[in-house]
Amino acid sequence: MANHDEHAIEELPPTPGERATHFIKRNDVARTALLFVAYTGIFIILGKYFYPKWMPTIMSKEMKSAESIMIWFTYISAPIAGIVLSVATNSFMNFHRGDTPPPDGPAIRTNGPVVALWTIGSLIFTLVAIVWGLLEVNSQAVAAATDAKSAITVEVTGSQWLWTFNYPAQGIETHDLNLPVGVPVVFDVKSVDVNHSFWPVQLGIKVDANAQVTTVIHTTPTMVGPIEVKCAELCGLYHAYMETNGAVMSKTDFNAWVIAQGGHTA
Amino acid sequence: MSTLDKAPISARPVPNPKRSLITRLHMGTGVVVGVIFALVAYYGLHSLYATTTDGVVNPLSSHDNNIILLGAMFAWSVGFLVGIGAFIGPFRWLIGKDLTDEEILYLAGDGQGVKRYFKYCTDHKVVGIQYLVGVMTMLGVGGTMAMMIRTNLARPGAHFIAPTVYNSLVGLHGITMIIAMIIVATGPFGNYIMPIMIGAYDMAFPRLNALSWWVLFTAIPVLCSAWFLGGIPTGWTAYAPLSVQAGPGMNAFIATIIIFAVSTAVAGMNITTTVVAMRTKGMKWNRVPIFVIGATISVALAIPAFPTFMLAMVQTGLDRSFNTGFFDANVGGSGWLYANLFWIMGHPEVYVILIPGVAALMEIAPVFVRKPLFSYNAAVLGFAGIAGLSVLVWAHHMYLAGWAPSLNGPFMVTTEMISIPTGLLFLVLIGTIWRGKPWLKLPMLSVFAFIWDFLIGGITGIYLSDVPADNYLHGSMFVTAHFHFTLMGAALTGAIGGLAYWYPKMTGRMLNERAGYISFWLVQIGFNVLFFGMFMAGAEGQPRRVIDYAAFYKNSNLVSTIGAYSVGIGMIVLLWAVIHSWTKGKISPMNPWGAKTLEWTVPYPVPLTNFDELPIITSDPYGYGKGK
Repeated sequence: MANHDEHAIEELPPTPGERATHFIKRNDVARTALLFVAYTGIFIILGKYFYPKWMPTIMSKEMKSAESIMIWFTYISAPIAGIVLSVATNSFMNFHRGDTPPPDGPAIRTNGPVVALWTIGSLIFTLVAIVWGLLEVNSQAVAAATDAKSAITVEVTGSQWLWTFNYPAQGIETHDLNLPVGVPVVFDVKSVDVNHSFWPVQLGIKVDANAQVTTVIHTTPTMVGPIEVKCAELCGLYHAYMETNGAVMSKTDFNAWVIAQGGHTA
Repeated sequence: MSTLDKAPISARPVPNPKRSLITRLHMGTGVVVGVIFALVAYYGLHSLYATTTDGVVNPLSSHDNNIILLGAMFAWSVGFLVGIGAFIGPFRWLIGKDLTDEEILYLAGDGQGVKRYFKYCTDHKVVGIQYLVGVMTMLGVGGTMAMMIRTNLARPGAHFIAPTVYNSLVGLHGITMIIAMIIVATGPFGNYIMPIMIGAYDMAFPRLNALSWWVLFTAIPVLCSAWFLGGIPTGWTAYAPLSVQAGPGMNAFIATIIIFAVSTAVAGMNITTTVVAMRTKGMKWNRVPIFVIGATISVALAIPAFPTFMLAMVQTGLDRSFNTGFFDANVGGSGWLYANLFWIMGHPEVYVILIPGVAALMEIAPVFVRKPLFSYNAAVLGFAGIAGLSVLVWAHHMYLAGWAPSLNGPFMVTTEMISIPTGLLFLVLIGTIWRGKPWLKLPMLSVFAFIWDFLIGGITGIYLSDVPADNYLHGSMFVTAHFHFTLMGAALTGAIGGLAYWYPKMTGRMLNERAGYISFWLVQIGFNVLFFGMFMAGAEGQPRRVIDYAAFYKNSNLVSTIGAYSVGIGMIVLLWAVIHSWTKGKISPMNPWGAKTLEWTVPYPVPLTNFDELPIITSDPYGYGKGK
């Protein structure tokens, strides 16, 4: 066994500081900058084309806001992803193979300006995301409050494994969710058994259905077209099949549908 | 410990406490006593609750049945520990004695060969190997379940698996993987490597160390029994009232969590104490290897987190056994209470999983680029910041529960703030590899894979933390893809990197490189394809945890399944490499990577007390590089 002198690890100078000139080396910087532009561009393209292609038709302001946040957060993340991936790729391209370790690199222990810039940058990024989100949440809450007066109410009941929609003002109960376009709607959601989650997909809203309490969400459909209603909370055996269809329709069509269901128009 | 401290190992007599009970106990006697305890509890409780009317035995109510099953499961766990000898020490203390020095040495297992892995062995290196084998078994079982899930989802309407079985698969895959991932780095490397890294003879509490493993071991058959009791229909979140409604298999889930929480508490206390109290001379806090810092923060975070889950499970068990109504709204309880308790554990828990994996890669990166770790302080602050914020973010899982919409704003703020310490972790890694020439061995490849995977996991996490985007994404496959990128892409990649790095120290042999490379690319490419498909399915609007989906989602799901098979094959190759190299791999030199941490200064097999004489530390272990 070795004695403790061999275990002892060489003493390093106590100053960890590095001059910026040492941290930066020209050809590394040039290659990293090119990679940065490429990666940032790729992420921006991904954000611009993928989410709009994948996500369903936008049929409400909430859906619009969900999609645009995904796109814009991708844009503001793109330069950060660009930095991280360009540095990683640049380093990867300098790789060393073989059975012995590579020669030692520069002894950079830290770099004050870089750490400070990075921290401040991520702070700004985070603040942008937070403020953006809070403004959006607030505007949705304000819209819900102002729209509430003119809204129609739909009582949504989840049960294993069926959605039931009750329109109290119209006096009808159905298993399809039909809504008039441009009219604010309030969903009062509850469950008669376990937790479900009411998800009218194209409207971009969602809330859990719980036993014994009513949860509320609002939206205003902005476009005519078919919608799907799904359950987004595991609710037992046939969770996957707890879905139904519906549509956002013109006011005339909606009134005709209500009459056909045996209800009355307000 | 007292005896172990006194003499160098070569001077000690081989312990032979002939007449001690301890020498006769092992895993086999544990199983026998455990089964006896379980049977006694089962039939005892059964006779207590069974009633007869006119000579006919009445069927048990579901409540009574739950009491009996839970009783039998806990009895098994306690019985096993009695049978393996876990309580001999405490019992001796009770009567005013202790184990003899000979018995303590015997428990350390020196010179007992393979047998000691099946005993109540207090050597941290034995416990580390036990954890490693346990973790790999759990990952194998959980991975097989994932393959079955993906096979069923390969195309719409494929009823390869019945709905009851499918829901159980989803839940058991979840909980098996969560348990495996919590211990994946701190179990094997935290036990085997960490005490050597800090220059200690052993863990602070060697007997508790053995206890933490064997308690965890008793949870494995309990969890498996869920299959034979009708499975669990709730997913691993076990939301009430679905969990109250669930059949007898749910008892297995409840008992598993309670037993596991005991194990983590014991292990967490032990690791924390060891690092705080047993660092060798000169190892000030700013000289502690970063893996040790990460592992300690992780287990210290688990200490306050898990009791809430344990409590929630005790209450679920009471609801199911005695109709106490904690969580069932129909009898006056609140499902939201359960969800809060669950996520107060659940969100710190993901960082309990993540941090040791990242820390392992931070240990690896400086060695393979031959540069110091970039900004050690940023790494420590990053871990500490994540750990601190992680206890304040739990309700972002409940934005859309309807529980407290007015709290969505505050929880969005705390959640998004986690980007800042997480950003520091990225900075440390890219700062370390900047201008280095990375030595592309298996451990270093994991560093690169981690950077990509965790970046994707992180960015998609920013969408999900935003309430208006979560309105759409919550409960969809997008969430599943996001957390697999963080837990599997980041944490498991880190742990596999750690395995490739420390394998030579744990087995004395090098991990087969060719198989390792093949596995790496199969797993990483397959993984990205798999979860790219799942992001797509989620963005398209497919809910998670579904057995079937509309034809509209068939492309994205097929992509996922193809990726999944690639991951599966890659993992089998890795498993083969680990098993094959264990006995047939190239013999490793003492320090194959030229690293400067203390574990590379001890030979293989590592002596019982690691060091004859404790080393003295005069700097941190990252003194690589030329030019000052």
